[in-house]
Amino acid sequence: MEVSHKRRRKLREALTGYAFVLPALVLFAVLGVYTVGYGLALSFARWNGFSANWIWVGLGNYRDLLYRDETLSPIVRDAAVNTAVVMIAVPLLAVVAGLPVALALNRITALRTTLRTVYFLPYVTTGIAVFYAWTYVLQPEGSLNAILKGLGLGTLAQPQGFLGNPATALPTLIAVLAWSSIPVAILLYLTGLQSIDPAVLDAARVDGATGLRTISAVIWPLLRPITAAVVLLNLRDALQGFQMFLVMTNGGPGGHTNVLGLQAYNLAFFSELRPTLGLASALGWLLFVVALILAAVNVRVLKSRT
Amino acid sequence: MKARALAYVILGVYTVISVYPFAWMVSGAFKDSKEVLRSGNLIPENPTFDTFARTWGELDFVRYFGNSLLVTGGTTLGVLVIYSLASYAFAVLKFPGRKAIYTGFIALLFVPGITVLLPVVILQGELGVLGTHIGIILPFVNGTAPLSILLLTNGFRSVPAELRESARCDGASEFRTFVSIYLPVCRPALVTIALLTAVPTWNEYVLTRVSLGDPATYTLPLGLQSLTATTSPQYNVIMAASLIIVIPVIVLFVLLQRYFINGLVGAVKG
Repeated sequence: MEVSHKRRRKLREALTGYAFVLPALVLFAVLGVYTVGYGLALSFARWNGFSANWIWVGLGNYRDLLYRDETLSPIVRDAAVNTAVVMIAVPLLAVVAGLPVALALNRITALRTTLRTVYFLPYVTTGIAVFYAWTYVLQPEGSLNAILKGLGLGTLAQPQGFLGNPATALPTLIAVLAWSSIPVAILLYLTGLQSIDPAVLDAARVDGATGLRTISAVIWPLLRPITAAVVLLNLRDALQGFQMFLVMTNGGPGGHTNVLGLQAYNLAFFSELRPTLGLASALGWLLFVVALILAAVNVRVLKSRT
Repeated sequence: MKARALAYVILGVYTVISVYPFAWMVSGAFKDSKEVLRSGNLIPENPTFDTFARTWGELDFVRYFGNSLLVTGGTTLGVLVIYSLASYAFAVLKFPGRKAIYTGFIALLFVPGITVLLPVVILQGELGVLGTHIGIILPFVNGTAPLSILLLTNGFRSVPAELRESARCDGASEFRTFVSIYLPVCRPALVTIALLTAVPTWNEYVLTRVSLGDPATYTLPLGLQSLTATTSPQYNVIMAASLIIVIPVIVLFVLLQRYFINGLVGAVKG
Protein backbone atom coordinates (compact mmCIF):
# COMPACT_ATOMS: atom_id res chain seq x y z
CA MET A 1 0.00 0.00 0.00
CA GLU A 2 2.69 2.40 1.13
CA VAL A 3 4.99 1.34 -1.74
CA SER A 4 2.38 1.75 -4.46
CA HIS A 5 1.44 5.15 -3.09
CA LYS A 6 5.04 6.23 -3.27
CA ARG A 7 5.40 4.87 -6.77
CA ARG A 8 2.31 6.67 -7.93
CA ARG A 9 3.61 9.90 -6.48
CA LYS A 10 6.91 9.41 -8.33
CA LEU A 11 5.13 8.71 -11.59
CA ARG A 12 3.02 11.77 -11.16
CA GLU A 13 6.07 13.91 -10.50
CA ALA A 14 7.77 12.55 -13.63
CA LEU A 15 4.71 13.25 -15.77
CA THR A 16 4.44 16.77 -14.37
CA GLY A 17 8.12 17.21 -15.20
CA TYR A 18 7.58 16.22 -18.82
CA ALA A 19 4.53 18.44 -19.08
CA PHE A 20 6.55 21.40 -17.78
CA VAL A 21 9.41 20.94 -20.26
CA LEU A 22 7.16 20.08 -23.19
CA PRO A 23 6.70 23.59 -24.66
CA ALA A 24 10.44 24.25 -24.48
CA LEU A 25 11.16 20.85 -25.96
CA VAL A 26 8.79 21.27 -28.92
CA LEU A 27 10.39 24.59 -29.79
CA PHE A 28 13.82 23.08 -29.37
CA ALA A 29 12.99 20.10 -31.56
CA VAL A 30 11.69 22.29 -34.39
CA LEU A 31 14.05 25.27 -34.22
CA GLY A 32 17.07 23.58 -32.67
CA VAL A 33 17.38 19.96 -33.72
CA TYR A 34 15.63 20.26 -37.07
CA THR A 35 17.48 23.37 -38.21
CA VAL A 36 20.83 22.00 -37.07
CA GLY A 37 20.20 18.74 -38.97
CA TYR A 38 18.92 20.57 -42.03
CA GLY A 39 21.87 22.94 -42.06
CA LEU A 40 24.35 20.11 -41.71
CA ALA A 41 22.76 18.18 -44.58
CA LEU A 42 22.68 21.31 -46.74
CA SER A 43 26.39 21.84 -46.19
CA PHE A 44 27.00 18.69 -48.26
CA ALA A 45 24.80 19.83 -51.13
CA ARG A 46 24.57 22.43 -53.87
CA TRP A 47 21.35 24.46 -53.99
CA ASN A 48 20.20 27.94 -54.96
CA GLY A 49 17.11 27.98 -52.78
CA PHE A 50 14.66 27.76 -55.66
CA SER A 51 15.36 24.66 -57.74
CA ALA A 52 13.52 21.49 -56.80
CA ASN A 53 16.50 19.30 -56.02
CA TRP A 54 19.70 19.42 -54.09
CA ILE A 55 22.83 18.14 -55.82
CA TRP A 56 24.90 16.16 -53.36
CA VAL A 57 28.56 17.12 -53.46
CA GLY A 58 29.94 15.44 -50.34
CA LEU A 59 32.72 17.52 -48.88
CA GLY A 60 32.85 19.65 -52.04
CA ASN A 61 31.58 22.83 -50.36
CA TYR A 62 34.17 22.58 -47.60
CA ARG A 63 36.91 21.98 -50.18
CA ASP A 64 35.73 24.95 -52.26
CA LEU A 65 35.77 27.23 -49.24
CA LEU A 66 39.13 26.11 -47.93
CA TYR A 67 41.24 25.78 -51.09
CA ARG A 68 39.58 24.49 -54.27
CA ASP A 69 37.51 27.38 -55.60
CA GLU A 70 39.86 29.93 -57.11
CA THR A 71 37.66 32.97 -56.58
CA LEU A 72 35.99 32.02 -53.32
CA SER A 73 38.79 30.51 -51.26
CA PRO A 74 41.01 33.64 -51.33
CA ILE A 75 37.98 35.70 -50.20
CA VAL A 76 37.36 33.25 -47.38
CA ARG A 77 41.03 33.30 -46.46
CA ASP A 78 41.05 37.12 -46.26
CA ALA A 79 37.87 37.04 -44.17
CA ALA A 80 39.48 34.47 -41.88
CA VAL A 81 42.53 36.70 -41.44
CA ASN A 82 40.28 39.69 -40.63
CA THR A 83 38.29 37.57 -38.18
CA ALA A 84 41.51 36.43 -36.51
CA VAL A 85 42.72 40.03 -36.22
CA VAL A 86 39.42 41.02 -34.59
CA MET A 87 39.62 38.01 -32.27
CA ILE A 88 43.06 39.06 -31.10
CA ALA A 89 42.53 42.82 -30.92
CA VAL A 90 39.14 43.07 -29.23
CA PRO A 91 39.87 40.85 -26.19
CA LEU A 92 43.23 42.57 -25.82
CA LEU A 93 41.62 46.02 -25.86
CA ALA A 94 38.94 44.87 -23.43
CA VAL A 95 41.60 43.85 -20.92
CA VAL A 96 43.96 46.76 -21.53
CA ALA A 97 41.19 49.36 -21.18
CA GLY A 98 38.85 47.50 -18.84
CA LEU A 99 41.27 46.89 -16.00
CA PRO A 100 42.60 50.47 -15.58
CA VAL A 101 39.08 51.90 -15.68
CA ALA A 102 37.91 49.34 -13.12
CA LEU A 103 40.91 50.13 -10.89
CA ALA A 104 40.17 53.83 -11.13
CA LEU A 105 36.49 53.25 -10.45
CA ASN A 106 37.33 51.12 -7.44
CA ARG A 107 39.48 53.91 -6.05
CA ILE A 108 36.79 56.57 -5.84
CA THR A 109 33.64 56.54 -3.77
CA ALA A 110 31.69 59.56 -4.96
CA LEU A 111 30.14 59.14 -8.40
CA ARG A 112 31.02 55.47 -8.65
CA THR A 113 27.48 54.24 -9.32
CA THR A 114 26.74 57.08 -11.71
CA LEU A 115 29.88 56.44 -13.72
CA ARG A 116 29.24 52.74 -13.79
CA THR A 117 25.85 53.48 -15.34
CA VAL A 118 27.37 55.82 -17.92
CA TYR A 119 30.10 53.33 -18.82
CA PHE A 120 27.54 50.64 -19.32
CA LEU A 121 25.50 52.51 -21.92
CA PRO A 122 27.63 51.41 -24.89
CA TYR A 123 27.01 47.80 -24.00
CA VAL A 124 23.24 47.90 -23.44
CA THR A 125 22.53 50.06 -26.45
CA THR A 126 24.76 48.15 -28.83
CA GLY A 127 22.95 47.66 -32.10
CA ILE A 128 22.11 49.30 -35.36
CA ALA A 129 21.24 52.72 -33.87
CA VAL A 130 24.61 53.15 -32.19
CA PHE A 131 26.42 51.81 -35.26
CA TYR A 132 24.84 54.57 -37.33
CA ALA A 133 25.80 57.15 -34.73
CA TRP A 134 29.40 55.99 -35.11
CA THR A 135 29.10 56.03 -38.89
CA TYR A 136 27.91 59.63 -38.57
CA VAL A 137 30.89 60.77 -36.49
CA LEU A 138 33.36 58.79 -38.62
CA GLN A 139 32.24 60.07 -42.02
CA PRO A 140 34.42 62.54 -43.98
CA GLU A 141 32.52 65.58 -42.61
CA GLY A 142 32.07 63.88 -39.27
CA SER A 143 32.99 65.17 -35.88
CA LEU A 144 36.08 62.99 -35.40
CA ASN A 145 37.83 64.59 -38.37
CA ALA A 146 36.77 68.02 -37.12
CA ILE A 147 38.08 67.30 -33.63
CA LEU A 148 41.41 66.04 -34.94
CA LYS A 149 41.83 69.18 -37.05
CA GLY A 150 40.81 71.35 -34.11
CA LEU A 151 43.47 69.72 -31.95
CA GLY A 152 46.13 70.38 -34.59
CA LEU A 153 46.24 66.68 -35.43
CA GLY A 154 44.96 67.26 -38.96
CA THR A 155 47.41 64.72 -40.33
CA LEU A 156 45.48 61.99 -38.56
CA ALA A 157 42.18 63.09 -40.10
CA GLN A 158 40.75 60.89 -42.85
CA PRO A 159 39.43 62.85 -45.86
CA GLN A 160 37.70 59.68 -47.15
CA GLY A 161 36.23 59.02 -43.73
CA PHE A 162 37.57 56.43 -41.31
CA LEU A 163 35.43 53.71 -42.83
CA GLY A 164 36.17 54.71 -46.41
CA ASN A 165 39.93 54.34 -46.23
CA PRO A 166 40.94 50.68 -46.67
CA ALA A 167 43.84 51.15 -44.25
CA THR A 168 41.77 52.53 -41.36
CA ALA A 169 38.45 50.72 -41.86
CA LEU A 170 39.24 47.52 -39.96
CA PRO A 171 41.07 49.20 -37.06
CA THR A 172 38.15 51.62 -36.76
CA LEU A 173 35.60 48.80 -36.60
CA ILE A 174 37.76 47.04 -34.01
CA ALA A 175 37.77 50.20 -31.91
CA VAL A 176 33.97 50.48 -32.08
CA LEU A 177 33.58 46.80 -31.24
CA ALA A 178 35.91 47.25 -28.27
CA TRP A 179 33.95 50.34 -27.23
CA SER A 180 30.81 48.24 -26.88
CA SER A 181 32.49 45.28 -25.16
CA ILE A 182 34.77 47.08 -22.68
CA PRO A 183 31.80 47.79 -20.33
CA VAL A 184 31.42 44.11 -19.47
CA ALA A 185 35.17 43.86 -18.84
CA ILE A 186 34.96 46.88 -16.51
CA LEU A 187 32.01 45.39 -14.66
CA LEU A 188 33.64 41.99 -14.20
CA TYR A 189 36.96 43.48 -13.10
CA LEU A 190 35.14 45.77 -10.68
CA THR A 191 33.29 42.82 -9.09
CA GLY A 192 36.61 41.00 -8.91
CA LEU A 193 38.38 43.94 -7.28
CA GLN A 194 35.63 44.31 -4.71
CA SER A 195 35.99 40.67 -3.71
CA ILE A 196 39.71 40.99 -2.98
CA ASP A 197 40.34 40.87 0.75
CA PRO A 198 41.58 44.36 1.83
CA ALA A 199 43.98 42.65 4.27
CA VAL A 200 45.93 41.30 1.30
CA LEU A 201 46.37 44.80 -0.10
CA ASP A 202 47.30 46.17 3.34
CA ALA A 203 49.93 43.46 3.69
CA ALA A 204 51.42 44.46 0.35
CA ARG A 205 51.51 48.09 1.47
CA VAL A 206 53.21 47.19 4.76
CA ASP A 207 55.82 45.32 2.72
CA GLY A 208 56.50 48.61 0.97
CA ALA A 209 54.95 47.76 -2.37
CA THR A 210 54.10 50.79 -4.51
CA GLY A 211 50.80 51.13 -6.34
CA LEU A 212 52.04 49.76 -9.64
CA ARG A 213 53.89 46.95 -7.93
CA THR A 214 50.77 45.99 -5.96
CA ILE A 215 48.83 45.85 -9.20
CA SER A 216 51.33 43.67 -11.04
CA ALA A 217 52.29 41.36 -8.17
CA VAL A 218 49.06 41.06 -6.19
CA ILE A 219 45.98 42.26 -8.04
CA TRP A 220 46.74 40.98 -11.55
CA PRO A 221 47.36 37.35 -10.42
CA LEU A 222 44.24 37.40 -8.23
CA LEU A 223 42.15 38.63 -11.15
CA ARG A 224 43.47 36.04 -13.60
CA PRO A 225 40.18 34.04 -13.69
CA ILE A 226 38.35 37.25 -14.57
CA THR A 227 40.84 38.05 -17.30
CA ALA A 228 40.27 34.55 -18.67
CA ALA A 229 36.50 35.10 -18.64
CA VAL A 230 36.82 38.49 -20.36
CA VAL A 231 39.10 37.09 -23.06
CA LEU A 232 36.94 34.04 -23.75
CA LEU A 233 33.72 36.04 -23.81
CA ASN A 234 35.16 38.46 -26.33
CA LEU A 235 36.72 35.70 -28.42
CA ARG A 236 33.30 34.16 -28.81
CA ASP A 237 31.62 37.44 -29.66
CA ALA A 238 34.36 38.35 -32.13
CA LEU A 239 34.03 34.99 -33.85
CA GLN A 240 30.24 34.97 -34.08
CA GLY A 241 29.20 38.60 -34.24
CA PHE A 242 29.06 40.40 -37.54
CA GLN A 243 26.09 42.74 -37.16
CA MET A 244 28.33 45.76 -36.77
CA PHE A 245 30.29 44.86 -39.88
CA LEU A 246 27.06 44.35 -41.80
CA VAL A 247 25.67 47.73 -40.79
CA MET A 248 28.77 49.92 -40.90
CA THR A 249 30.73 48.66 -43.92
CA ASN A 250 29.14 45.44 -45.24
CA GLY A 251 32.69 44.16 -45.67
CA GLY A 252 33.94 47.17 -47.63
CA PRO A 253 35.90 48.97 -48.84
CA GLY A 254 37.02 46.23 -51.20
CA GLY A 255 36.57 43.36 -48.75
CA HIS A 256 38.94 44.93 -46.23
CA THR A 257 36.48 44.47 -43.39
CA ASN A 258 34.90 41.20 -44.48
CA VAL A 259 34.65 38.64 -41.67
CA LEU A 260 33.61 34.97 -41.77
CA GLY A 261 30.14 35.47 -40.27
CA LEU A 262 29.37 38.24 -42.76
CA GLN A 263 30.68 36.14 -45.63
CA ALA A 264 28.35 33.29 -44.64
CA TYR A 265 25.43 35.73 -44.32
CA ASN A 266 26.01 37.16 -47.77
CA LEU A 267 26.45 33.70 -49.32
CA ALA A 268 23.18 32.63 -47.71
CA PHE A 269 20.97 35.60 -48.49
CA PHE A 270 22.51 37.92 -51.03
CA SER A 271 23.79 35.73 -53.83
CA GLU A 272 20.77 36.04 -56.09
CA LEU A 273 20.24 32.75 -57.91
CA ARG A 274 23.71 31.32 -57.61
CA PRO A 275 23.77 27.93 -55.83
CA THR A 276 25.65 29.17 -52.77
CA LEU A 277 23.36 28.00 -49.97
CA GLY A 278 25.40 24.83 -49.39
CA LEU A 279 28.55 26.92 -49.26
CA ALA A 280 26.94 29.25 -46.72
CA SER A 281 25.96 26.30 -44.57
CA ALA A 282 29.42 24.76 -44.81
CA LEU A 283 30.99 28.05 -43.75
CA GLY A 284 28.58 28.20 -40.80
CA TRP A 285 29.73 24.75 -39.73
CA LEU A 286 33.38 25.68 -40.06
CA LEU A 287 32.61 28.54 -37.64
CA PHE A 288 30.85 26.06 -35.37
CA VAL A 289 33.99 23.89 -35.25
CA VAL A 290 36.09 26.90 -34.22
CA ALA A 291 33.48 27.84 -31.60
CA LEU A 292 33.60 24.30 -30.24
CA ILE A 293 37.39 24.40 -29.96
CA LEU A 294 37.09 27.71 -28.09
CA ALA A 295 34.48 26.19 -25.78
CA ALA A 296 36.80 23.24 -25.04
CA VAL A 297 39.61 25.65 -24.20
CA ASN A 298 37.11 27.55 -22.07
CA VAL A 299 36.25 24.46 -20.03
CA ARG A 300 39.93 23.63 -19.57
CA VAL A 301 40.81 27.15 -18.41
CA LEU A 302 37.89 27.28 -15.99
CA LYS A 303 38.87 23.90 -14.55
CA SER A 304 42.50 24.87 -14.09
CA ARG A 305 41.63 27.94 -12.08
CA THR A 306 40.22 26.01 -9.16
CA MET B 1 47.02 61.50 -3.75
CA LYS B 2 48.73 61.29 -7.11
CA ALA B 3 47.04 57.94 -7.67
CA ARG B 4 43.66 59.47 -6.95
CA ALA B 5 44.25 62.28 -9.44
CA LEU B 6 45.25 59.71 -12.05
CA ALA B 7 42.06 57.78 -11.30
CA TYR B 8 39.96 60.88 -11.98
CA VAL B 9 41.81 61.54 -15.23
CA ILE B 10 41.19 57.98 -16.45
CA LEU B 11 37.53 58.17 -15.46
CA GLY B 12 37.09 61.57 -17.11
CA VAL B 13 38.61 60.40 -20.38
CA TYR B 14 36.56 57.24 -20.39
CA THR B 15 33.35 59.16 -19.70
CA VAL B 16 33.98 61.24 -22.82
CA ILE B 17 34.66 58.09 -24.87
CA SER B 18 31.50 56.42 -23.56
CA VAL B 19 29.11 59.25 -24.36
CA TYR B 20 30.79 60.55 -27.51
CA PRO B 21 28.54 58.92 -30.16
CA PHE B 22 25.41 59.51 -28.04
CA ALA B 23 26.20 63.20 -27.79
CA TRP B 24 26.42 63.42 -31.57
CA MET B 25 23.31 61.33 -31.99
CA VAL B 26 21.33 63.88 -29.98
CA SER B 27 23.10 66.76 -31.69
CA GLY B 28 22.41 65.42 -35.18
CA ALA B 29 18.78 64.71 -34.43
CA PHE B 30 18.15 68.35 -33.54
CA LYS B 31 19.98 69.91 -36.48
CA ASP B 32 18.17 71.05 -39.61
CA SER B 33 18.92 69.34 -42.90
CA LYS B 34 21.39 72.05 -43.99
CA GLU B 35 23.41 72.24 -40.82
CA VAL B 36 23.78 68.49 -40.52
CA LEU B 37 25.77 68.40 -43.76
CA ARG B 38 28.59 70.46 -42.28
CA SER B 39 30.81 69.05 -39.57
CA GLY B 40 29.76 71.96 -37.39
CA ASN B 41 29.33 72.14 -33.66
CA LEU B 42 28.01 69.73 -31.12
CA ILE B 43 25.39 72.29 -30.09
CA PRO B 44 23.05 72.92 -33.04
CA GLU B 45 22.85 76.54 -34.22
CA ASN B 46 19.11 76.41 -34.76
CA PRO B 47 17.91 73.45 -32.75
CA THR B 48 14.73 72.06 -34.26
CA PHE B 49 12.30 69.45 -33.11
CA ASP B 50 10.89 69.07 -36.63
CA THR B 51 13.13 66.21 -37.73
CA PHE B 52 12.12 64.23 -34.71
CA ALA B 53 8.42 64.89 -35.21
CA ARG B 54 8.62 64.14 -38.94
CA THR B 55 10.50 60.87 -38.37
CA TRP B 56 7.97 59.77 -35.79
CA GLY B 57 4.89 60.70 -37.81
CA GLU B 58 5.42 60.97 -41.55
CA LEU B 59 8.19 58.39 -41.77
CA ASP B 60 6.06 55.83 -39.98
CA PHE B 61 8.29 55.33 -36.98
CA VAL B 62 5.26 55.22 -34.76
CA ARG B 63 4.23 52.06 -36.62
CA TYR B 64 7.74 50.55 -36.44
CA PHE B 65 7.77 51.35 -32.75
CA GLY B 66 4.52 49.43 -32.31
CA ASN B 67 5.88 46.48 -34.27
CA SER B 68 9.03 46.47 -32.18
CA LEU B 69 6.98 46.55 -28.99
CA LEU B 70 4.92 43.63 -30.24
CA VAL B 71 7.92 41.50 -31.24
CA THR B 72 9.90 42.34 -28.10
CA GLY B 73 6.90 41.88 -25.81
CA GLY B 74 5.90 38.61 -27.45
CA THR B 75 9.42 37.23 -27.28
CA THR B 76 9.91 38.24 -23.66
CA LEU B 77 6.56 36.82 -22.59
CA GLY B 78 7.25 33.57 -24.45
CA VAL B 79 10.66 33.23 -22.86
CA LEU B 80 9.33 33.87 -19.35
CA VAL B 81 6.47 31.39 -19.62
CA ILE B 82 8.20 28.58 -21.50
CA TYR B 83 11.55 28.63 -19.75
CA SER B 84 10.34 29.26 -16.22
CA LEU B 85 8.19 26.13 -16.54
CA ALA B 86 11.07 24.12 -17.99
CA SER B 87 13.57 25.43 -15.45
CA TYR B 88 11.24 24.59 -12.59
CA ALA B 89 11.15 21.01 -13.85
CA PHE B 90 14.93 20.90 -14.22
CA ALA B 91 15.52 22.38 -10.77
CA VAL B 92 12.85 20.73 -8.66
CA LEU B 93 11.15 17.73 -10.27
CA LYS B 94 12.70 14.31 -10.76
CA PHE B 95 12.07 12.50 -14.04
CA PRO B 96 14.08 10.16 -16.25
CA GLY B 97 16.14 11.99 -18.87
CA ARG B 98 16.17 15.24 -16.93
CA LYS B 99 19.92 15.68 -17.05
CA ALA B 100 20.20 14.72 -20.73
CA ILE B 101 17.52 17.19 -21.81
CA TYR B 102 19.07 19.95 -19.70
CA THR B 103 22.49 19.32 -21.24
CA GLY B 104 20.94 19.38 -24.71
CA PHE B 105 19.58 22.87 -24.10
CA ILE B 106 22.84 24.20 -22.71
CA ALA B 107 24.78 22.68 -25.64
CA LEU B 108 22.79 24.98 -27.93
CA LEU B 109 24.84 27.80 -26.44
CA PHE B 110 27.78 26.69 -28.54
CA VAL B 111 26.02 26.79 -31.92
CA PRO B 112 26.76 30.16 -33.55
CA GLY B 113 23.65 32.00 -34.71
CA ILE B 114 24.88 32.18 -38.29
CA THR B 115 25.13 28.37 -38.47
CA VAL B 116 21.37 27.92 -38.12
CA LEU B 117 20.22 31.24 -39.59
CA LEU B 118 19.64 29.95 -43.11
CA PRO B 119 17.77 26.79 -42.03
CA VAL B 120 15.60 28.97 -39.76
CA VAL B 121 14.60 31.17 -42.68
CA ILE B 122 13.91 28.12 -44.88
CA LEU B 123 11.84 26.64 -42.05
CA GLN B 124 9.86 29.88 -41.71
CA GLY B 125 9.00 29.49 -45.39
CA GLU B 126 7.91 25.86 -44.96
CA LEU B 127 5.75 26.69 -41.96
CA GLY B 128 4.21 29.64 -43.80
CA VAL B 129 5.33 32.21 -41.25
CA LEU B 130 8.05 33.89 -43.31
CA GLY B 131 7.48 37.63 -43.15
CA THR B 132 5.26 37.50 -40.07
CA HIS B 133 6.03 38.61 -36.55
CA ILE B 134 5.34 35.20 -35.04
CA GLY B 135 7.88 33.82 -37.52
CA ILE B 136 10.67 35.81 -35.90
CA ILE B 137 9.37 35.61 -32.33
CA LEU B 138 9.68 31.81 -32.23
CA PRO B 139 13.37 31.66 -33.20
CA PHE B 140 14.11 34.59 -30.86
CA VAL B 141 12.49 32.69 -27.98
CA ASN B 142 14.41 29.53 -28.80
CA GLY B 143 17.62 31.52 -29.11
CA THR B 144 17.53 32.60 -25.48
CA ALA B 145 16.84 29.05 -24.24
CA PRO B 146 20.36 28.25 -22.99
CA LEU B 147 20.87 31.46 -21.03
CA SER B 148 17.33 31.53 -19.60
CA ILE B 149 17.42 27.89 -18.52
CA LEU B 150 20.87 28.30 -17.02
CA LEU B 151 19.94 31.34 -14.92
CA LEU B 152 16.42 30.27 -13.95
CA THR B 153 17.38 26.71 -13.02
CA ASN B 154 20.05 28.13 -10.71
CA GLY B 155 17.48 30.52 -9.28
CA PHE B 156 14.85 27.84 -8.60
CA ARG B 157 17.46 25.50 -7.10
CA SER B 158 18.32 28.09 -4.48
CA VAL B 159 14.73 28.10 -3.14
CA PRO B 160 14.64 26.03 0.09
CA ALA B 161 13.03 22.62 -0.51
CA GLU B 162 11.01 22.98 2.72
CA LEU B 163 8.82 25.57 1.04
CA ARG B 164 7.71 23.05 -1.55
CA GLU B 165 7.22 20.33 1.07
CA SER B 166 5.01 22.51 3.22
CA ALA B 167 2.98 23.65 0.22
CA ARG B 168 2.44 20.03 -0.69
CA CYS B 169 1.32 19.21 2.86
CA ASP B 170 -1.24 22.00 2.48
CA GLY B 171 -2.54 20.16 -0.58
CA ALA B 172 -1.21 22.56 -3.23
CA SER B 173 -0.70 21.13 -6.70
CA GLU B 174 2.66 21.26 -8.43
CA PHE B 175 1.52 24.06 -10.73
CA ARG B 176 0.11 25.99 -7.80
CA THR B 177 3.40 25.65 -5.89
CA PHE B 178 5.26 26.87 -8.96
CA VAL B 179 3.04 29.91 -9.49
CA SER B 180 2.43 31.06 -5.95
CA ILE B 181 5.75 30.18 -4.29
CA TYR B 182 8.60 29.75 -6.75
CA LEU B 183 7.78 32.55 -9.19
CA PRO B 184 7.45 35.28 -6.53
CA VAL B 185 10.61 34.16 -4.73
CA CYS B 186 12.59 34.21 -7.99
CA ARG B 187 11.24 37.51 -9.25
CA PRO B 188 14.68 39.16 -9.51
CA ALA B 189 15.93 36.34 -11.76
CA LEU B 190 12.80 36.66 -13.91
CA VAL B 191 13.30 40.42 -14.31
CA THR B 192 16.91 39.76 -15.29
CA ILE B 193 15.88 37.25 -17.94
CA ALA B 194 13.21 39.63 -19.22
CA LEU B 195 15.82 42.37 -19.65
CA LEU B 196 18.47 40.15 -21.19
CA THR B 197 15.83 38.99 -23.68
CA ALA B 198 14.10 42.28 -24.39
CA VAL B 199 17.11 44.46 -25.15
CA PRO B 200 18.81 42.25 -27.79
CA THR B 201 15.39 41.54 -29.35
CA TRP B 202 14.64 45.27 -29.57
CA ASN B 203 17.93 45.77 -31.45
CA GLU B 204 17.85 42.59 -33.56
CA TYR B 205 18.60 43.19 -37.20
CA VAL B 206 20.27 40.13 -38.75
CA LEU B 207 17.36 37.66 -38.82
CA THR B 208 14.71 40.39 -39.01
CA ARG B 209 16.24 41.81 -42.15
CA VAL B 210 16.00 38.56 -44.10
CA SER B 211 12.61 37.55 -42.65
CA LEU B 212 10.42 40.63 -42.88
CA GLY B 213 9.79 41.94 -46.38
CA ASP B 214 6.69 44.09 -46.08
CA PRO B 215 7.45 47.60 -44.75
CA ALA B 216 4.20 47.44 -42.76
CA THR B 217 5.76 44.72 -40.59
CA TYR B 218 9.13 46.46 -40.11
CA THR B 219 10.59 46.79 -36.66
CA LEU B 220 12.58 49.90 -35.65
CA PRO B 221 16.00 48.59 -36.82
CA LEU B 222 14.58 47.83 -40.26
CA GLY B 223 12.86 51.19 -40.39
CA LEU B 224 16.17 52.83 -39.57
CA GLN B 225 17.99 50.79 -42.19
CA SER B 226 15.45 51.73 -44.86
CA LEU B 227 16.33 55.41 -44.27
CA THR B 228 19.91 54.78 -45.31
CA ALA B 229 19.01 52.95 -48.51
CA THR B 230 18.61 56.24 -50.37
CA THR B 231 21.51 57.71 -52.31
CA SER B 232 22.09 60.66 -50.00
CA PRO B 233 21.39 59.64 -46.43
CA GLN B 234 20.13 62.50 -44.27
CA TYR B 235 21.92 62.14 -41.01
CA ASN B 236 19.55 64.32 -39.02
CA VAL B 237 16.70 61.93 -39.82
CA ILE B 238 18.90 58.89 -39.24
CA MET B 239 20.02 60.22 -35.86
CA ALA B 240 16.43 61.05 -34.85
CA ALA B 241 15.42 57.49 -35.71
CA SER B 242 18.43 56.12 -33.81
CA LEU B 243 17.41 58.15 -30.80
CA ILE B 244 13.91 56.67 -30.96
CA ILE B 245 15.49 53.19 -30.77
CA VAL B 246 17.99 53.99 -28.04
CA ILE B 247 15.89 56.01 -25.58
CA PRO B 248 13.63 53.17 -24.37
CA VAL B 249 16.68 50.96 -23.82
CA ILE B 250 18.45 53.62 -21.79
CA VAL B 251 15.36 54.32 -19.68
CA LEU B 252 14.87 50.62 -19.00
CA PHE B 253 18.52 50.18 -18.13
CA VAL B 254 18.72 53.15 -15.80
CA LEU B 255 15.59 52.03 -13.94
CA LEU B 256 16.51 48.37 -13.67
CA GLN B 257 20.27 48.26 -13.87
CA ARG B 258 20.62 46.22 -10.69
CA TYR B 259 18.96 43.28 -12.45
CA PHE B 260 21.05 43.76 -15.56
CA ILE B 261 24.30 43.70 -13.68
CA ASN B 262 23.42 40.74 -11.46
CA GLY B 263 22.35 38.85 -14.54
CA LEU B 264 25.54 39.51 -16.48
CA VAL B 265 27.76 38.59 -13.57
CA GLY B 266 25.63 35.48 -12.99
CA ALA B 267 25.73 34.49 -16.66
CA VAL B 268 29.51 34.63 -16.76
CA LYS B 269 30.01 32.80 -13.48
CA GLY B 270 27.36 30.20 -14.30
